[in-house]
Amino acid sequence: MISVGKLARTGFWILLIGYFLLPMLAMARFAFQTIPTFLLTTENVFQGWGFGSLTVAFQDAGVIKSTILSLQLCATTIALTFFVLVPLTTYVEVSAPKLKPWLTGATVATWLVPPVALVVGVAATFRQVIPSFLTSPFTLTFFYSLWMLPFTYRAIDGQLRLIGAKNLFEAAQSVGCGPITFFFKVILPNLKSSLYISASLIFAAVLGEFTFASLLLKQTMPVYLWSFQSSQARAGFALALLVMVATALILGFAVARMRRRGLNFSATGI
Amino acid sequence: MRKIRKFAPALTIAAPFVILMSIFLIWPTLTTIGKAFIHEDEFSLFNMARAMSGTYRDSFITTAQLSLITSLIGGGIGLLMAILLRSLPVESKSRTLADSWSAVASQLGGLPLAFAFIALLGTQGILTKVLGAFGIDLVELGFSLTGLAGWALVYLYFQIPLMFLIMTPAVSALRASWFESATSMGANAWQFWRSVGIPILLPTIVTGFVLLFVNSFSAYATAYALSTGAGQLIPLQIRFILQGNVITGEDELGFAIVTWALLLLALSLVAVTLLQRRVSRWTEQ
Amino acid sequence: MTDVQFRNITKHYGTEVALSNFSLNINSGELVSILGPSGCGKTTALRILAGFIQPTEGNLVVGGHGILDLPAAKRGYGMVFQSYSLFPNMTTSENIEFPLKLRKVDAVTRAKRVNELLDLINMAEHARKFPHQLSGGQQQRVALARAVALEPPILLLDEPLSALDATVRDQLRDEIRSLQKRLGITTVFVTHDQQEAMAISDRVAVMRSGQVEQLGSPRDLYQNPKNSFVAGFVGISNQIKSTKIGDAWKVLGSSVSGPAEFNTGIAFIRPEDIKITPSPNGIAVIEEISFLGSFVRVFMSVDGARVIADLQISDAENLATGQQVELTIRDANPLIESMGNK
Repeated sequence: MISVGKLARTGFWILLIGYFLLPMLAMARFAFQTIPTFLLTTENVFQGWGFGSLTVAFQDAGVIKSTILSLQLCATTIALTFFVLVPLTTYVEVSAPKLKPWLTGATVATWLVPPVALVVGVAATFRQVIPSFLTSPFTLTFFYSLWMLPFTYRAIDGQLRLIGAKNLFEAAQSVGCGPITFFFKVILPNLKSSLYISASLIFAAVLGEFTFASLLLKQTMPVYLWSFQSSQARAGFALALLVMVATALILGFAVARMRRRGLNFSATGI
Repeated sequence: MRKIRKFAPALTIAAPFVILMSIFLIWPTLTTIGKAFIHEDEFSLFNMARAMSGTYRDSFITTAQLSLITSLIGGGIGLLMAILLRSLPVESKSRTLADSWSAVASQLGGLPLAFAFIALLGTQGILTKVLGAFGIDLVELGFSLTGLAGWALVYLYFQIPLMFLIMTPAVSALRASWFESATSMGANAWQFWRSVGIPILLPTIVTGFVLLFVNSFSAYATAYALSTGAGQLIPLQIRFILQGNVITGEDELGFAIVTWALLLLALSLVAVTLLQRRVSRWTEQ
Repeated sequence: MTDVQFRNITKHYGTEVALSNFSLNINSGELVSILGPSGCGKTTALRILAGFIQPTEGNLVVGGHGILDLPAAKRGYGMVFQSYSLFPNMTTSENIEFPLKLRKVDAVTRAKRVNELLDLINMAEHARKFPHQLSGGQQQRVALARAVALEPPILLLDEPLSALDATVRDQLRDEIRSLQKRLGITTVFVTHDQQEAMAISDRVAVMRSGQVEQLGSPRDLYQNPKNSFVAGFVGISNQIKSTKIGDAWKVLGSSVSGPAEFNTGIAFIRPEDIKITPSPNGIAVIEEISFLGSFVRVFMSVDGARVIADLQISDAENLATGQQVELTIRDANPLIESMGNK
């Protein structure tokens, strides 16, 4: 005897899963089946499948160049974020708890200014004062790092609290361990999970980031993808799908890993 | 002199952060806001007023409508998901899957998402064709991915997981003892949620709606990929002005629009903070 | 007439056994405590009675009817939890009123009943406060009032005092007992604190590893523990090696009666059953004397083993550390277990 409630619930889940799955499937179909939609019939539905579009994408010089740039930006953003955030967060958690609300507030403040708005600010300032600064695509690093701050801060701070960084510091001090040694030998090895997820987050975000790059006229992979797909739709879609799947897997594993370690990842950054 | 030496390590550690924030966030933002209030070299509300008139006002309204729709619908569905999945034990594979999925999906957006929906429901979309075979002509029905309904459908893709993500901790914080107390008094699930569950969740639910609203308002890449060039949504309007700011005075308009948007965001942040304080009062007891 | 009968209840969680052939009869109007260490199954038993868990095997009879098929919402038993019992979004009166509202009691009767209950627990002045504005003890009082609002046939209490401070605990404990007696409700009280259980119960069921070790009145359990677990769990006991000589057992120099089946064993002697007499040839040496307010606790050493005796202050006046003393056992029939037993 199936109750109405159970039926409604099952229907809900089916609709929901369908909603989330179908667009991806449609994208895959378009990317990997050579038969255009209007020529599709029930007979040739299983024909013309292949990964040819991906080969086209990988052979395009623009794709290669822009992907390399994006990957480089991932690296620089990760490096900058860790450099700026990790020592400071550790210090505040361990020695300056009074500053905690300020730090948390500051990271939330970055959420207040969405990329679109920030770029306008860039036009109002940099472009007027030091236009040459903006020519290098690596200036995106600063903006990306800021943009990801709420999330990365939350992850790192969360793990610092979980491992009891404060107590560890007191214990380290009592055996004569200096702060720098403490940071490198005690804190960093124990922050692996949050560093890993921060890096994964940044990686996923930078590979997909369009707003900053496009408005600042940098040829990152997503920006190039947009123009690429207007001439090579199938290849463009295939590449987009690939990137999506890759980032989803990386991020998914990172989140699962964090849960296993008891860390609650907050993707809202708030 | 001694005081500086005492704070020296702290300052050195904080310096990169402070510099980063100052140069790349605070300076641009404050300049933008400042310039929004300057017209012809003196303080004036001219730009702010202009930014809220005519097509710009329409854009604000359209963007607000879109944000309202997606936050209400997305919020409702996300909430329902969180409640339905709550009963599963935290360690189960389904829960981990749901958590991973929501973390990933809420970040999804922009081009790939737009592409996917174009592939599904665009003019050459596969679902469009399938529905056509059943006699349902989407174009006739007025549905288009470049219209409000189309945008909403795409935006929901990341709005729903975002709400789920926001609600899950709050739903998990609902004590089993509350539910069991209610049950032992004879309450059924509906009575519990109506009298106890939802009221307790309400601050978080409203927080969720606000965050979803803001998220939708700021979305750029998705809007960009789904639009036909005309700046019906605020983020696109901003770009339009940005790219074509050869005409003097246009950039001031851009500053004003951004300032209005920032005001909206700041208000929502205040609302969220106040609501969160309410939440902690109840759940900490 | 609401009596409760647990009949051979067994509960498995996969390979884990929470309850094994658990049987317990509770008479109408009685307060029975289920006492035991964590993991012994006491909470499982309570939750089976409440209806939140279904047993793997066995039967549950309340007031002559089998209730296993009755869902928790239909059982109508009052329940108080260890913490977070009250709905945080409702005031004290709203919390108490809630079950009445569920039963569609009319507003006038509801208000009257809520006031009655508020007076019963002395919380009338806190009627408009929210749970987070109340102390732990106050919250539990309100939870209690709410639990009895509908005059349920059974009251279930799951470690209601464990999260409270010591002084509050004692006070609330007595309030619970007087309320229970006044209303005559059959009550099941789960706790790990033997003092609590002893203080308020008509009978206590001591549990270990899913089974009842002993069921009896507090006095019974204290004076005649069935085995070392009960003896050790309820109150403190000295564990003294003894040997049987002839027909009698020798414990610290005194003769007591004991089991016939074995010759050496461990005797469980309560501290208050040991009498101390100073004597130059005594077998015990006093190591420490602690003044504990209403009595004196004397720590002694006998053949390297530690023995504790509790004395009235007047009886301890002539004692000093380092003294050699003679011991007399006042319990003629203590629990003696063979050495193999654990």
